[in-house]
Amino acid sequence: MSDAPAPETPRRRRGPEHLLTHRLARWVDSRLGTAKLARTTLNKVFPDHWSFMLGELGLYCFIVLVLTGVYLTFFFDPSLNQVIYRGSYAPLRGVEMTEAFRSALELSFDVRAGLVMRQIHHWAALLFLASLGVHLARVFFTGAFRRPRELNWIIGCTLLILAMLNGLFGYSLLDDQLSGTGLRIVYSITLSIPLVGTWLASLLFGGEFPGPDIISRLYVIHILLVPAVIVGLLTAHLAILVRQKHTHFSGPGRREDNVVGERMWPTYAAKALGLFFLTSALLAFLGGVFQINPIWIYGPFDPAEVSAASQPDWYMGWLDGALRIMPGWEIRAFGFEIPNPFFPGVLLAGLTFGLLYAWPFLEARVTRDHAEHHLLDRPRQRPVRTALGMATISFYSVLFLGGAADVLAATFGLSVNAILWTFRFLCLLAPPVVGWVTYRLCKELSARDGVPTASTVTVREIPGRLRHREEPKQAEPESQALRS
Amino acid sequence: MTGRLHRWLVAAPLVATALATPLAVAAAPSQEGDDGQLAQGRELYLTGCSSCHGPEGEGVDAPSGERGPSLVEAGEAGAYYYLSTGRMPLASSEEQPIRKDPAYTPEQIDALVAYIASLDDGPRLPDVDVRQGDVAAGGEIFRANCQACHSASGSGGALSYGRAAPRLSEATPTQVGAAVRSGPGQMPVFGPETITDEQLDDLARYVEYLQNPSDPGGIPIGRTGPIPEGFVAWLIAIPALLALVGWIGTRSPIRRPATAATAATAAEGDDD
Amino acid sequence: MTDLVEPGVTGPDGADPDHEERGRRVELTSAACFVVATLAAIALAVVYWQGGQPQAEGVLLALTLGGIGVGIVLWAKHFMPNDEVAEERHPLQSSEEEIAEFSADFAAGQSSLGRRRILVATAGGACAALGVALLFPVRSLGPRPGRGLKETPYRNAPIRVVIESGVPVRPADLEVDGFITVWPRGHTDAADAATLLIRYRSDQGFEPRPGREDWTVDDIVAYSKLCTHVGCPVGLYQAQLGLLLCPCHQSTFDVMQGARPVFGPAARPLPQLPLALDDEGFIIATGDFSAPVGPGFWDRGR
Repeated sequence: MSDAPAPETPRRRRGPEHLLTHRLARWVDSRLGTAKLARTTLNKVFPDHWSFMLGELGLYCFIVLVLTGVYLTFFFDPSLNQVIYRGSYAPLRGVEMTEAFRSALELSFDVRAGLVMRQIHHWAALLFLASLGVHLARVFFTGAFRRPRELNWIIGCTLLILAMLNGLFGYSLLDDQLSGTGLRIVYSITLSIPLVGTWLASLLFGGEFPGPDIISRLYVIHILLVPAVIVGLLTAHLAILVRQKHTHFSGPGRREDNVVGERMWPTYAAKALGLFFLTSALLAFLGGVFQINPIWIYGPFDPAEVSAASQPDWYMGWLDGALRIMPGWEIRAFGFEIPNPFFPGVLLAGLTFGLLYAWPFLEARVTRDHAEHHLLDRPRQRPVRTALGMATISFYSVLFLGGAADVLAATFGLSVNAILWTFRFLCLLAPPVVGWVTYRLCKELSARDGVPTASTVTVREIPGRLRHREEPKQAEPESQALRS
Repeated sequence: MTGRLHRWLVAAPLVATALATPLAVAAAPSQEGDDGQLAQGRELYLTGCSSCHGPEGEGVDAPSGERGPSLVEAGEAGAYYYLSTGRMPLASSEEQPIRKDPAYTPEQIDALVAYIASLDDGPRLPDVDVRQGDVAAGGEIFRANCQACHSASGSGGALSYGRAAPRLSEATPTQVGAAVRSGPGQMPVFGPETITDEQLDDLARYVEYLQNPSDPGGIPIGRTGPIPEGFVAWLIAIPALLALVGWIGTRSPIRRPATAATAATAAEGDDD
Repeated sequence: MTDLVEPGVTGPDGADPDHEERGRRVELTSAACFVVATLAAIALAVVYWQGGQPQAEGVLLALTLGGIGVGIVLWAKHFMPNDEVAEERHPLQSSEEEIAEFSADFAAGQSSLGRRRILVATAGGACAALGVALLFPVRSLGPRPGRGLKETPYRNAPIRVVIESGVPVRPADLEVDGFITVWPRGHTDAADAATLLIRYRSDQGFEPRPGREDWTVDDIVAYSKLCTHVGCPVGLYQAQLGLLLCPCHQSTFDVMQGARPVFGPAARPLPQLPLALDDEGFIIATGDFSAPVGPGFWDRGR
């Protein structure tokens, strides 16, 4: 290794070996032998379709959540001791409240940048879940969950559940009227589980509702346990992704046995960094400009009081809607009962996530397709899967609307009873209709493309190059895949 | 809230009321002096109200056509509430009463109120003075009694079968007092033993605050909680993020076609 | 498009002047973004130093982060190589030899473990027992669910009902069509004992449930305030209709008919509290509620 500069660089500049970064890299490498791995990493190829960046959005929201969250922990006090408020918000001065609520008020009114940090944190939570939702939809509709990525799908579903729970626990920490009502509902749903419900509820809450312990327990779960698991699973999620390499859409030169895109260094890394800054910028904008969770209007939690228009954060809306739409049915026999909230609150939730987890295996079994897939489907090429997915989305959309039933009624001057009756029928009728329409649409679009759908193709593993040679008119769908 | 402060707040007005009641009764205005107002009120009543509420305010209970409830026990408070918020007169008894510009001038309203009050014993119109009201005490009363129907921010809420508790954004303190004492529509009645006149001052003060709250967090998006927040997330933030992702993810157009030399470089870069 | 297409590769710089011109513009824009970000950061520090203001903080932070972000993205899109390259996917699965070698090595080690069946069995049993034993501290998290779910402090009946401040209630305190929330005296912080006192109109058609004809006082009836669906307080009384509406999930209860559910997901009526008057004319409860209050649970009926 000579010290003379490479022939093409001008003699007046020193070679790259003298840069600080280079010297640092050598220092690390001489102790860990990282150069080979680092080079592999730098040259990793990432397909750069826009829809592949949706998972990253979730990652960046999570980073913002952790950063703002740490700041909040320096001020929040998860204690249920009763105190009298003496802070700067006049309409609550002299009111008795818990220390948790008081510290949240102090954070909002008396700590500089406290309110904007709180609001960024809460907006980031809403967008974290929304990003995961669109990411899940992209992975589902393109078939990216197929072998060998079933494990990452399972990890992803777990991340989704953990994110939802952490959001619920997080906004419940403040002990305001709205979130306290939500905790009451959590307690009652737990209570409704047959055989063990009363025990689970008592152990979780430390007794009957509200209990003296729930906020401090949720605090530990929210700031330590769940984030730790999320970080671990996220790391595994990304490691598996790197090991298996990302999927890509079919197109010129794209085959099952390669991955086409741009190199990690410098372009992909720079774009990822840029997206991180832009996502954080949007969250900062939301946190400063749009008021969220005005706990001072809701007031401190009182188990004998409740406000009209009480809803959970958006990602729990489907569960809330399910609770409202469910007719008043219970099962009672011999003095035992399975109470009403069990069916929408536990059974439906269990079915939802159970099906979600099981989907890759169900689909592989039904289509009898156990081959590896690294080329993605366009949704129209898989009409049955796409139709089932859209039908499912329509079902949960009706549930989401159900959760807003009273606000819809008040806003549009309708009868809330009529709205809920309508949704009872709609949640059963909409999915088949939406599914059928989607199916026909996929078939129609595919027919126009001249590309056969999966259901009419018998051979799966057609290398891209071969297909390209045989049907030169394929230019249109491939470039569409690139462009969209 | 339990505590000395609250007990004092409740006990003091009760004692004061107990002492003041005999004085108030002695000072009640006699009816003779307002004969002119009563006559005017009766005139207006017969013209504008009797078709639905009957010639003596007893109500009309026809199976179809124009009908309305008895006003005999509506009192000052009930009459004032409906007339000053423009909910009455109603064009047809099938309509839902909603707030609009009052159909009568303040003097006419006073006359009508006096006439209705003369029919029988109904709730008096309370004398509400927001300047005497304590906003924090009012908040507690509001959250204990009012937010279940009108929501914590006073934006109103849905009731059964198409009815609604209205938003409080335009309620004057006297209208708040009138509604509380008379329980219009589906609203229950809160008498002076449940919410004292002093507490009414506090309550009206808090309702006034809700009409212009401090909103330090920015654009309040309705103050009705997670639903508008969810809409902002999905209709503003997600499209913005998707636009960003679309911009970043789209590769700039390929500037030069592949040549032999550059293809060789690419092949070398394929090494793992 | 040629027949056999390898991913196209371009060099980062073209030789045409249009490209140069555009490049300069983008460079200036990108640099301007960084400058905006710098200024916004300084302004943010000033705002904070001057006392802070949430909207200004949010917008300036957004400008700082956004300026850096846009600058980096422009840089990446226009000045960094955007060649499309391909990387081969090697089979993920290990080769047959590798798997065989692993199996052989593992079996070799396992033979010394597996042959000692007694050791394996007893060690496994010990670990399982340890696992079960370590679960027991979970029991300390909360008390055994007991009679508390089926009783309220009204079991100390006869007991006066009081409003939140502790003041007892006379029937005359409640107007017709009025309602208030009360608790058993001395238990105003008992979450399960919140009670609604409702005075209905004499001609409203109140129908007492069988066996509860004497549970009302002066047209005042008492029901538990906790919804039998998931326990939200049923705070909405629609006086003309005589209906209680729970704002959480729209369960609706008919006050005139023992608060039986007439709409929504609640499946059981609100438990009723028996009322009477004591010698001083205050309202008292003469017993606990007619059923366990609040949401249902497995053995509620036993």
